[in-house]
Amino acid sequence: MTVVPIKLAGASARSIEQAARASRRVGTALVGPAVAVIVAVHIVPAFIGFYSSLRRIFFFADEGFVGLSNFSALFSDPITWQAIGRSLAFTFGALALAVPLALLAALAVRELGPRGRLLLTILLVPWAMSPIVVALLWKWILLPSPGGLFASILAVFGIPPVNLLSDPAWAMPTVIAVAVWRTFAFAAIILSAGLGQIPKDLYRAASVDGLSVVERFTKITLPLLAPSILIVLSMLTISYFNEVQVIIGLTSGGPIRSTTTLGYQLYITGFVELDQGRGNAIAVVMFLINLLLIVGYIQLLGGRKGGEA
Amino acid sequence: MRQTRYDAIDRRSALQGALAAGVALPFLGGRAGAQSADSIRIWTFMSAEGQSPREKVFKALIDDFQAKSKVKVVVESQPFQELETKFVAAVAQKRAPDLVWLRDTFLSLVVDRGGLADLNTELSPEFRQQALPDMFNVFTQKSVFDGKRVSLPIWPSPAQIIFYRKDALREIGLEAPPLGWTAFVDVAGKLTKGTRIGLGLPTSDNSVSALVNVMSGFGPSIFDPATGRIDLTGAEAVEAAKTVRDLVARGAVSKTLLNAMGDDIQDQFAAGRFAMAQAFAPRFQQYQKIAAGYDPKELAVSAWPSFGSRPPAVLLGPYWTVGLASTSQNKAAAVAFLESMFSPAASMKWAKEASLIPDRRSVMSDPWFNTSDAAVTAAFFKLLSGDGAFVFPQRVPDITKLFNVLNTSLQEIIGTDEKVEPILARAKSTLGW
Repeated sequence: MTVVPIKLAGASARSIEQAARASRRVGTALVGPAVAVIVAVHIVPAFIGFYSSLRRIFFFADEGFVGLSNFSALFSDPITWQAIGRSLAFTFGALALAVPLALLAALAVRELGPRGRLLLTILLVPWAMSPIVVALLWKWILLPSPGGLFASILAVFGIPPVNLLSDPAWAMPTVIAVAVWRTFAFAAIILSAGLGQIPKDLYRAASVDGLSVVERFTKITLPLLAPSILIVLSMLTISYFNEVQVIIGLTSGGPIRSTTTLGYQLYITGFVELDQGRGNAIAVVMFLINLLLIVGYIQLLGGRKGGEA
Repeated sequence: MRQTRYDAIDRRSALQGALAAGVALPFLGGRAGAQSADSIRIWTFMSAEGQSPREKVFKALIDDFQAKSKVKVVVESQPFQELETKFVAAVAQKRAPDLVWLRDTFLSLVVDRGGLADLNTELSPEFRQQALPDMFNVFTQKSVFDGKRVSLPIWPSPAQIIFYRKDALREIGLEAPPLGWTAFVDVAGKLTKGTRIGLGLPTSDNSVSALVNVMSGFGPSIFDPATGRIDLTGAEAVEAAKTVRDLVARGAVSKTLLNAMGDDIQDQFAAGRFAMAQAFAPRFQQYQKIAAGYDPKELAVSAWPSFGSRPPAVLLGPYWTVGLASTSQNKAAAVAFLESMFSPAASMKWAKEASLIPDRRSVMSDPWFNTSDAAVTAAFFKLLSGDGAFVFPQRVPDITKLFNVLNTSLQEIIGTDEKVEPILARAKSTLGW
């Protein structure tokens, strides 16, 4: 009598194994195309890009392997170092403006309830727009002649037109402001979701303990929002460091290279000057800098609580 | 929690899936590159609306050719600044069109990559004997590389030229701008009045450079005949840079326009911001059409001033040429269409309906060119036929980099007080010249 259950158990194990195999096949069939697309549009191009950075390729003519000479030419050119400096200035300048703005917007959205969600929807419109359209829109707004919106507003107060985009001192802050205007609301959504995860009880307990608003913010909100802030910082850093469309549309890297970031230098080198070997070398450098920045954030914010983020 | 095999896609499964999808992908590609034997494909640039006078004439010529030859002409519009790069890539992939529009400044790069057929062996004997000598020699000769004719220049144009408002010039008692730089700088300064600026120069562009146009006042000698380079630290370049500085000092060129592209200059000229401006010659009609700050009838065209006693300068280029792909499967039909665009009748059509300078010089004897409607075309024709007309050398090294570098120098000349010599030396160093 004891044989039957053993046979049943064997059949059952086989059928479970078969079901699992079938399940894996379905999973594979569903995930396979996505993996193929990721490999085709991300992984393969990344390897080709790195491979190309080691070759002299100009106007589609591959003149052969040149080792690291594209990189050495890049780093011996002062324009590259200036571009790296401007990229970092752009990235951290924009972050310094965007993250507090996003946090304020997220707090306002939580406080205002349904009206806050309406506010967030309105703020999100620029993010939904193409960056090049945003650039052209702001170019018109900042036009320093009759017809320019900003010039018209200044004229009401008797102030003459100011050409922010043609002034080497003002061009970068202006481009940063436009980039932040386009992106901060998206960061606000993530922070708003993060704020929603913080238990209300903590604030009630803090009130009972007599903590001030500022103390509640610094001791409850900020620490518990750290994972969301890390996501926002990572995403915005990549976005700002690689920003090129707003710069192309607003200033074309000028005046006098004052807004020529590494991303814009990549665009000019690879797509205008058609030096594809060196363009790919810039892309590799940009990838490494992006990687370093993100690792830095994870160490700073993510690692602080034992990998909580 | 330990992950089980039931809720995870392991590496092997993922690779199997990727492989399966990879096998399937080629079958999804279709037959995009397939071409019918009785059709030809053309790559050119079109406006978003496709309704400009030039495009209407082009369409009429296509309709006419299709009716006569029964060959279908398929136009595949491309962004104008990508035509050359896309063509070279398409040749490598064996997907190139039969005919392609190319800028003269990119010809040598495309020729070196072997994408263009020799038109000397493809054009009909009649065309070679009658049409070629009737075209502007300065343009046609540039398309001949080592005896191989790689393209035909179309819509001959002085490219970057000076547009001016006659009404503004009349204010200071002149009919036209002076054709020598010393007098021109003085006049441009006087034309700056209130919010109007004497001269608008594009300072941010990847395919034109006002600095080169100012230098063109020294004639073809600005280009080294052996290397095709400009001596950027030589006396002529320094003189040209100092002339730009003089324009700024006299208020004729504004420091607040350090980042202006050609389109910005066009828009602001239309609004009446400038008395004169560097402009793209084929856009004359458009400048008239969008004129808001002045009467469009007051718009006129001038050559660039020259230095010393040289003739007024007309640097021809970048301009458009049409090439035949070496990979074309329908060369006879493609060449027949190409020739049809350069017939005397087509030249008249381009001139009459699109105000383009006729490719065939002989049609200028048509009485229509003596009418007021043709006054501007006749003026452009005169500029092209002048002694000061010359083209960029066939091979200018670093042509893809040159304009961008020189525009940065121009911005520095206009926007800073640094001496012009170190600015030009930096440009030379950036180009590796």
